[in-house]
Amino acid sequence: MMPDMTQQGQPSQAPSPTTPNVPVVLFNGVSKSYGRIHALSNITLALSGGVTGILGMNGAGKSTLFKLLMGKLRPSAGEVKLFGTNPWKNPAPYARVGFVPEHEKMHDWMTALEFVSTFARLHGMTRSEAEKEAIRVLDFVGLRDVANKEIGRFSKGMRQRTKIAHALVNDPDLIILDEPLQGCDPLARTTIMNVIRELGKLGRTVLVSSHILNEIERITEQIVILHQGKLVALGNLHAIRERLDQIPHTIRIVGEDARALARDLLSHPAVFGVSFPNDRELLIQTYHFGQLHADLPRLIVENNHRVNMIDNPDDDLESLLNYLAGGSS
Amino acid sequence: MSENEAAPEAPVTGQGRMDVAWGANTGDEHPEEVQNASTPQSGEIFEQLYTPWTGQLNPRWMRNWSILRHHLLGIFKKGHRPWTMPTRIFILIAFLASLSDAGMTLLSGVVGSSEFHSLFGVSRDNLYGHVLGFFPRNVLYYPLVAALLVGGVISEDRQHGTSALYFSRPISRFDYVGMKFLSVALIQALVILITYVLYFLAEVVAFGRGWAWMVDIFPMFLAGMIAGMLLIITYTSIGLSLSSVSTGRFFPGIGLLAIVFGTKTLASIVKNLFEREILYLISPYDCVAHVGQALIGTQTTYDQYSWTYSLVALVAMNAVALYVLASRVASMEVTRE
Amino acid sequence: MKQNREIPSLWSGMDRKALAIGEFTLRQQRKRLSTWVVFIVGIAAMGVMTMFYIDAMTRDYEAIDNDGDSYDWDGDGYPNGQEALYGTDTLDANSHPGILDPSILPDDPSVWIDEDDFDWDSLAEGSVGKDDNGDCDVESRTASQKDANNNGIPCDIELTSERWNPNALVIRSDGNVDEDPDDEAYALEAIHRSFVLATGKLGVVFLIGIFVPLFMATGLIRNEMTSGTMHFMLAKPIARSEVFLYRLLGFYALAWVYLTVLIALLAVITGFTGPSEGFFRFSDLGVWMAVWLASLLAVMVYGMLFCTLGVMWKHGMVLALPFAAWELGMVLTTLGAPEASILRFSVIGWAMNIVDAGAALAWSDTPLLIQMGLWGGGNGPLEGSEGLNFFWSTPGLGLGALGTIIVSVLVLVFQTAACWLLGSALFKSKEIE
Repeated sequence: MMPDMTQQGQPSQAPSPTTPNVPVVLFNGVSKSYGRIHALSNITLALSGGVTGILGMNGAGKSTLFKLLMGKLRPSAGEVKLFGTNPWKNPAPYARVGFVPEHEKMHDWMTALEFVSTFARLHGMTRSEAEKEAIRVLDFVGLRDVANKEIGRFSKGMRQRTKIAHALVNDPDLIILDEPLQGCDPLARTTIMNVIRELGKLGRTVLVSSHILNEIERITEQIVILHQGKLVALGNLHAIRERLDQIPHTIRIVGEDARALARDLLSHPAVFGVSFPNDRELLIQTYHFGQLHADLPRLIVENNHRVNMIDNPDDDLESLLNYLAGGSS
Repeated sequence: MSENEAAPEAPVTGQGRMDVAWGANTGDEHPEEVQNASTPQSGEIFEQLYTPWTGQLNPRWMRNWSILRHHLLGIFKKGHRPWTMPTRIFILIAFLASLSDAGMTLLSGVVGSSEFHSLFGVSRDNLYGHVLGFFPRNVLYYPLVAALLVGGVISEDRQHGTSALYFSRPISRFDYVGMKFLSVALIQALVILITYVLYFLAEVVAFGRGWAWMVDIFPMFLAGMIAGMLLIITYTSIGLSLSSVSTGRFFPGIGLLAIVFGTKTLASIVKNLFEREILYLISPYDCVAHVGQALIGTQTTYDQYSWTYSLVALVAMNAVALYVLASRVASMEVTRE
Repeated sequence: MKQNREIPSLWSGMDRKALAIGEFTLRQQRKRLSTWVVFIVGIAAMGVMTMFYIDAMTRDYEAIDNDGDSYDWDGDGYPNGQEALYGTDTLDANSHPGILDPSILPDDPSVWIDEDDFDWDSLAEGSVGKDDNGDCDVESRTASQKDANNNGIPCDIELTSERWNPNALVIRSDGNVDEDPDDEAYALEAIHRSFVLATGKLGVVFLIGIFVPLFMATGLIRNEMTSGTMHFMLAKPIARSEVFLYRLLGFYALAWVYLTVLIALLAVITGFTGPSEGFFRFSDLGVWMAVWLASLLAVMVYGMLFCTLGVMWKHGMVLALPFAAWELGMVLTTLGAPEASILRFSVIGWAMNIVDAGAALAWSDTPLLIQMGLWGGGNGPLEGSEGLNFFWSTPGLGLGALGTIIVSVLVLVFQTAACWLLGSALFKSKEIE
């Protein structure tokens, strides 16, 4: 979609040179607290290249992370580096960054073209250059037809795409998208996801935050999970998934004769412990959750047990994240 | 699928756990990945029947009272309408500063000096001065209190979308705006009229005034009270109409002050230059002052026309402001702007 | 794409960014209804005052016989002035210039109204004035009556400066000199000048100068911060102090154009309406230039200051309003006591200095005009003189007009720079949610 595909993946000519040793994004022991609330605690993270999804619930610290990176907040402890520069002190690295804030509020009185080209001019482009670039990126996000419409009349998906266009106008090496898919309908979602994937293919470093796994999954395999301001997981989505299978897990079964069922289940290699909260209930501890779950129905049917309910009490967000975050609560 | 069967085709794996944690079925993903073990396979469409609500609605005054209470208590404590801190501090300052004449009266009672009393004690001029004196009361205290109060009272509801919280309840728009008006007016009354009463009581206490004196002074006192109410109503209706046409907090406050001071300055320039007082008719403060002077019976400072002109101008100002307010609130869209 | 794009040098880059943000701000304000409301209300307010002014200019002023010599006390047909001129008895109907030889015909009484206008052309100390109607130097009067002020010159007016206040004059006239001035000419001139000064100083420089920034500049940065749109701008390679400055430049562009148009309108209307020999009062343009300069600079300082207050605190308006009240007090001080040293701690005091100095340059005879009017031929103030005295003040720095203008401009620019430094330092240290 981009007119000059020949530029694919080439390093930019922006003023500060990238040496391979300098990661694009570096958090070194960064904490951020508001009074007694810790928005981020001791994050150490270095990212360069590719699309990375930042996953976390509302309030997990995703936006704080981005705002620190964009020099809007000052870290309470630790250092933040953007292309090796402290962004709180020096706005120069933003020449190579495109940022899509989560805020819904935009300059509704401008047309999309005005909006994008005005902010392009803040990169030091002339008016005509800015206009040319603005048309290019609006075309890239599929808004060329409505470029001269006021943003106030746009739908949510179009607004998000306008924001993305404005962030792309300087052909950045790092693109940060804070909840770009929030509130969009499936069609807009697909378009935006395609745009992000496209950017990844162009060799840019892209950070996308979301609280929905499926969205991230469709964009990238490299993820960072934040929970309550802590970094809980980092790496390939599939690898993390594999690791999650190894976590001790509880299965709760309610049946007529819990003890008889326990006897049969204990023979299964994946089970390492059982307990009986009452006569009809059985709690099974396992390390190989997937394997056990696959065998469980067969075991029950073969031994003619009468089971009313199978439940995974740990299988909610809180317990998973608490386990990942150190199992403290 | 009944409850006592597990779904074997949905093994709970790491994938599944993450889906439960982070997934959201938005319709465009692979549906089989996000199927839950206990999701029934069948669907059903329910027939929609609307039955009228037959409960007992509290009387209208009770609902209105809760709005009023919400606004009034917000001045004193948390958990009610969050007036901003500066507003609350300023109201306190203005309240204390307005009590200066009461304090001086008490002091003169203690000292027993009659000169002191003639300066600060209750008299025709001082009663007028407490409510309508230009400096400092109607420069620094009352208009600023009004400006801070009306600043966001309707506009912030529109900006934050909280007006939807009101309009989704059994409250008419008229009640909503009426209670807003009343609450803003009552808070101003706290600063202007309560201090006025306290001033009067200070005189009674400090000089041991008897019934005869009170009956004697009462008409004057009442006139001052009415003048104060006129002032409050005028500032409130102008301020609220500005608040209803804007979305920010800045504009109504500054707008009210610009109207009050701008017209006053303009009128006094014209008076000084051309010896023409007619422009005072567009100045809300001067109109109230003129009517107040006539009511209380002090020396009037506006000689060129009768006080009834000012009264008519005052009624016209209020009518225009209230019309704007009413039509804006009636046509207000309940959205977050 | 990147290869084609020229890398901007520091200066051209700054210049492009400034233009972009300035233009953005300008457009933003233009699309806002409240901007137009403020502008139109400002024009309407000035328009109302101008209507009163036009009315005052076209009104007929009753010619007042200040010295009362158009009356004919004895009823012989000869006005008192004519009788006094010829030395006949004003109280005796049988004694009149008609019995003199040659016989003199009686004057129409209107000849003796406004017949002895001011003949002062400078405010230098010493002897001024000329007895136009000749009723001072008449034979029937004694030498001591002809030289009542004892300066050795008969039939003149002596001006001496007041002992404690060199700007004020003591006027001592020999009787019947310049005693019946032309009221209408005086009133028109005085009211015209006081209108120009009053609209210029209180209307344009103060009211518009303070309310336009109050409405438009207080939220320049703060509104964007609360609504979250500031994120777009701050994610660009641009220092926050630059954003701060360029936003204000955009505001200045709009406010300055508005002020220029408003002042030009006022200058044209008053120039054609005011009393003048030609068709247009070119001499006023100097004053309007001073008003223009002062209002531009006042808007500059106030804009920067209010924007800084907005950045400083979410409720910046609460800080700005007491400051505006302080400035109102200072304006009143400049009218009464332009040399008060407390004015050094205000913005408006310096701006008023510029207008006062400009007026002193363009209308250097105004102090004379005021003194003449207040003296009014020895019979009390003429219409318009008190207003002119109220709105006129001599620049309070004691540096001379040009010096005052230069110093005041420098001070105002310095104040702006100080506010900018403070504002951008605050803005830089602000965390933006």
